[in-house]
Amino acid sequence: MPSSLLRQDVLPVAVGYLLLMGALAAGLRLLRRAGGPAGTGRDGAPGTASGRPGPPGIPGPPAAGWARLARRYAGTVLGGYLLLMAVVILYYYGVARVSGPFIVSAFTGCALLIGLSTPVFALASWLDVRRRARRRHQAGG
Amino acid sequence: MAEHPVIGYVVWAVLFGALFAWEGLALSHISGVPTLSDAFRAIMRYPAGRWALFALWLWFGWHIFVRGWHFLLRA
Repeated sequence: MPSSLLRQDVLPVAVGYLLLMGALAAGLRLLRRAGGPAGTGRDGAPGTASGRPGPPGIPGPPAAGWARLARRYAGTVLGGYLLLMAVVILYYYGVARVSGPFIVSAFTGCALLIGLSTPVFALASWLDVRRRARRRHQAGG
Repeated sequence: MAEHPVIGYVVWAVLFGALFAWEGLALSHISGVPTLSDAFRAIMRYPAGRWALFALWLWFGWHIFVRGWHFLLRA
Protein backbone atom coordinates (compact mmCIF):
# COMPACT_ATOMS: atom_id res chain seq x y z
CA MET A 1 0.00 0.00 0.00
CA PRO A 2 1.53 3.35 -0.99
CA SER A 3 2.45 5.67 1.88
CA SER A 4 0.53 8.56 0.30
CA LEU A 5 -2.63 6.47 0.46
CA LEU A 6 -1.98 5.74 4.11
CA ARG A 7 -1.31 9.40 4.90
CA GLN A 8 -4.03 10.99 2.81
CA ASP A 9 -6.86 8.47 3.08
CA VAL A 10 -6.47 5.74 5.67
CA LEU A 11 -5.23 8.00 8.48
CA PRO A 12 -7.93 10.71 8.16
CA VAL A 13 -10.70 8.15 7.76
CA ALA A 14 -9.41 6.21 10.77
CA VAL A 15 -9.23 9.38 12.86
CA GLY A 16 -12.71 10.40 11.73
CA TYR A 17 -14.03 6.94 12.54
CA LEU A 18 -12.49 7.03 16.00
CA LEU A 19 -13.91 10.52 16.63
CA LEU A 20 -17.38 9.41 15.53
CA MET A 21 -17.27 6.25 17.59
CA GLY A 22 -15.96 8.23 20.55
CA ALA A 23 -18.83 10.68 20.25
CA LEU A 24 -21.34 7.83 19.99
CA ALA A 25 -19.77 6.11 22.99
CA ALA A 26 -20.00 9.34 24.96
CA GLY A 27 -23.64 9.65 23.94
CA LEU A 28 -24.39 6.10 25.01
CA ARG A 29 -22.65 6.65 28.32
CA LEU A 30 -24.73 9.77 28.89
CA LEU A 31 -27.85 7.77 28.05
CA ARG A 32 -26.96 5.08 30.53
CA ARG A 33 -26.24 7.68 33.19
CA ALA A 34 -29.62 9.29 32.52
CA GLY A 35 -31.23 5.90 33.02
CA GLY A 36 -32.77 5.13 29.66
CA PRO A 37 -33.35 6.37 26.15
CA ALA A 38 -33.24 10.12 25.90
CA GLY A 39 -36.38 10.33 23.90
CA THR A 40 -37.96 13.10 25.85
CA GLY A 41 -37.15 16.65 26.74
CA ARG A 42 -35.15 17.46 23.65
CA ASP A 43 -33.91 21.00 23.65
CA GLY A 44 -34.11 23.19 20.64
CA ALA A 45 -37.07 21.62 18.91
CA PRO A 46 -39.34 24.11 17.25
CA GLY A 47 -41.88 24.86 19.89
CA THR A 48 -42.24 27.09 22.84
CA ALA A 49 -39.36 28.76 24.59
CA SER A 50 -39.26 25.96 27.12
CA GLY A 51 -39.22 23.27 24.45
CA ARG A 52 -42.62 21.97 25.62
CA PRO A 53 -45.69 22.09 23.41
CA GLY A 54 -47.82 25.13 24.01
CA PRO A 55 -51.42 25.18 25.14
CA PRO A 56 -54.05 23.85 22.74
CA GLY A 57 -55.63 26.24 20.31
CA ILE A 58 -52.58 28.39 19.76
CA PRO A 59 -51.61 28.14 16.08
CA GLY A 60 -47.85 28.01 16.48
CA PRO A 61 -45.06 28.79 18.90
CA PRO A 62 -44.60 32.22 20.44
CA ALA A 63 -42.01 34.48 18.92
CA ALA A 64 -39.61 33.62 21.74
CA GLY A 65 -39.64 29.98 20.55
CA TRP A 66 -38.64 30.96 17.02
CA ALA A 67 -35.97 33.35 18.31
CA ARG A 68 -34.55 30.60 20.49
CA LEU A 69 -34.56 28.15 17.60
CA ALA A 70 -32.85 30.69 15.34
CA ARG A 71 -30.19 31.36 17.97
CA ARG A 72 -29.63 27.64 18.47
CA TYR A 73 -29.43 27.09 14.72
CA ALA A 74 -27.03 29.98 14.16
CA GLY A 75 -24.78 28.77 16.97
CA THR A 76 -24.73 25.21 15.66
CA VAL A 77 -24.06 26.27 12.07
CA LEU A 78 -21.31 28.70 13.01
CA GLY A 79 -19.65 26.29 15.45
CA GLY A 80 -19.81 23.35 13.06
CA TYR A 81 -18.57 25.39 10.13
CA LEU A 82 -15.61 26.81 12.06
CA LEU A 83 -14.78 23.38 13.48
CA LEU A 84 -14.73 21.80 10.04
CA MET A 85 -12.66 24.62 8.58
CA ALA A 86 -10.14 24.22 11.41
CA VAL A 87 -9.93 20.47 10.70
CA VAL A 88 -9.57 21.08 6.96
CA ILE A 89 -6.77 23.61 7.47
CA LEU A 90 -4.98 21.31 9.92
CA TYR A 91 -5.35 18.43 7.47
CA TYR A 92 -4.07 20.48 4.55
CA TYR A 93 -1.02 21.93 6.30
CA GLY A 94 -0.35 19.05 8.69
CA VAL A 95 -1.11 15.88 6.73
CA ALA A 96 -1.32 16.31 2.99
CA ARG A 97 -1.32 19.19 0.53
CA VAL A 98 -4.22 18.08 -1.58
CA SER A 99 -4.03 19.25 -5.17
CA GLY A 100 -6.46 21.78 -6.55
CA PRO A 101 -8.30 24.55 -4.73
CA PHE A 102 -8.91 22.37 -1.70
CA ILE A 103 -9.23 25.01 0.99
CA VAL A 104 -11.16 27.45 -1.20
CA SER A 105 -13.52 24.62 -2.12
CA ALA A 106 -13.99 23.77 1.56
CA PHE A 107 -14.87 27.36 2.51
CA THR A 108 -17.13 28.09 -0.45
CA GLY A 109 -18.62 24.60 -0.86
CA CYS A 110 -19.64 24.29 2.79
CA ALA A 111 -20.99 27.85 2.81
CA LEU A 112 -23.02 26.96 -0.29
CA LEU A 113 -24.43 23.87 1.44
CA ILE A 114 -25.41 25.95 4.47
CA GLY A 115 -26.97 28.59 2.23
CA LEU A 116 -29.00 25.97 0.40
CA SER A 117 -30.09 24.00 3.45
CA THR A 118 -31.05 26.94 5.70
CA PRO A 119 -34.27 27.91 3.86
CA VAL A 120 -35.22 24.23 3.55
CA PHE A 121 -34.69 23.75 7.29
CA ALA A 122 -36.69 26.91 8.08
CA LEU A 123 -39.55 25.82 5.84
CA ALA A 124 -39.55 22.27 7.26
CA SER A 125 -39.57 23.65 10.84
CA TRP A 126 -42.44 26.00 10.05
CA LEU A 127 -44.46 23.19 8.43
CA ASP A 128 -43.76 20.90 11.38
CA VAL A 129 -44.90 23.50 13.90
CA ARG A 130 -48.03 24.18 11.85
CA ARG A 131 -48.82 20.47 11.63
CA ARG A 132 -48.36 19.98 15.38
CA ALA A 133 -50.46 23.04 16.16
CA ARG A 134 -53.24 21.84 13.86
CA ARG A 135 -53.15 18.38 15.45
CA ARG A 136 -53.31 19.91 18.94
CA HIS A 137 -56.17 22.11 17.84
CA GLN A 138 -58.11 19.11 16.50
CA ALA A 139 -57.39 17.08 19.65
CA GLY A 140 -58.53 19.96 21.85
CA GLY A 141 -61.92 20.31 20.24
CA MET B 1 -18.37 0.00 -11.17
CA ALA B 2 -15.30 -1.22 -13.04
CA GLU B 3 -13.46 2.05 -12.35
CA HIS B 4 -13.25 1.32 -8.63
CA PRO B 5 -11.88 -1.69 -6.78
CA VAL B 6 -14.53 -4.10 -5.54
CA ILE B 7 -13.04 -3.95 -2.04
CA GLY B 8 -14.23 -0.34 -1.75
CA TYR B 9 -17.82 -1.34 -2.35
CA VAL B 10 -17.46 -4.32 0.00
CA VAL B 11 -16.14 -2.13 2.83
CA TRP B 12 -18.95 0.39 2.44
CA ALA B 13 -21.52 -2.43 2.27
CA VAL B 14 -20.15 -3.95 5.48
CA LEU B 15 -20.17 -0.58 7.25
CA PHE B 16 -23.75 0.17 6.26
CA GLY B 17 -24.76 -3.41 7.05
CA ALA B 18 -23.34 -3.05 10.56
CA LEU B 19 -25.19 0.25 10.96
CA PHE B 20 -28.52 -1.26 9.90
CA ALA B 21 -27.90 -4.34 12.06
CA TRP B 22 -27.29 -2.12 15.10
CA GLU B 23 -30.46 -0.12 14.44
CA GLY B 24 -32.50 -3.26 13.83
CA LEU B 25 -31.26 -4.78 17.07
CA ALA B 26 -32.10 -1.58 18.94
CA LEU B 27 -35.57 -1.25 17.44
CA SER B 28 -36.40 -4.88 18.20
CA HIS B 29 -36.02 -4.11 21.95
CA ILE B 30 -34.49 -7.52 22.62
CA SER B 31 -30.98 -6.39 23.38
CA GLY B 32 -31.30 -3.22 25.43
CA VAL B 33 -29.18 -1.45 22.82
CA PRO B 34 -30.16 2.21 22.41
CA THR B 35 -31.14 3.34 18.92
CA LEU B 36 -28.88 5.62 16.90
CA SER B 37 -31.49 8.36 17.32
CA ASP B 38 -31.17 8.06 21.09
CA ALA B 39 -27.39 8.25 20.87
CA PHE B 40 -27.43 11.26 18.55
CA ARG B 41 -30.04 12.98 20.72
CA ALA B 42 -27.81 12.53 23.74
CA ILE B 43 -24.84 13.97 21.85
CA MET B 44 -26.90 16.91 20.61
CA ARG B 45 -27.72 18.04 24.13
CA TYR B 46 -24.33 19.74 24.23
CA PRO B 47 -23.08 22.52 21.95
CA ALA B 48 -19.78 20.75 21.21
CA GLY B 49 -21.68 17.61 20.19
CA ARG B 50 -23.93 19.63 17.89
CA TRP B 51 -20.90 21.34 16.32
CA ALA B 52 -19.16 18.00 15.74
CA LEU B 53 -22.23 16.42 14.16
CA PHE B 54 -22.91 19.46 12.00
CA ALA B 55 -19.25 19.52 10.91
CA LEU B 56 -19.53 15.83 10.00
CA TRP B 57 -22.72 16.49 8.04
CA LEU B 58 -21.02 19.38 6.21
CA TRP B 59 -17.94 17.29 5.48
CA PHE B 60 -20.07 14.51 4.03
CA GLY B 61 -22.18 16.89 1.94
CA TRP B 62 -19.10 18.72 0.72
CA HIS B 63 -17.54 15.49 -0.53
CA ILE B 64 -20.72 14.07 -2.00
CA PHE B 65 -22.18 17.18 -3.65
CA VAL B 66 -19.25 19.56 -4.15
CA ARG B 67 -16.10 17.50 -4.59
CA GLY B 68 -17.85 14.48 -6.08
CA TRP B 69 -18.78 11.11 -4.67
CA HIS B 70 -15.72 9.44 -6.27
CA PHE B 71 -13.73 10.69 -3.26
CA LEU B 72 -15.31 7.99 -1.10
CA LEU B 73 -14.02 5.22 -3.35
CA ARG B 74 -10.58 6.67 -4.00
CA ALA B 75 -7.83 4.07 -3.83
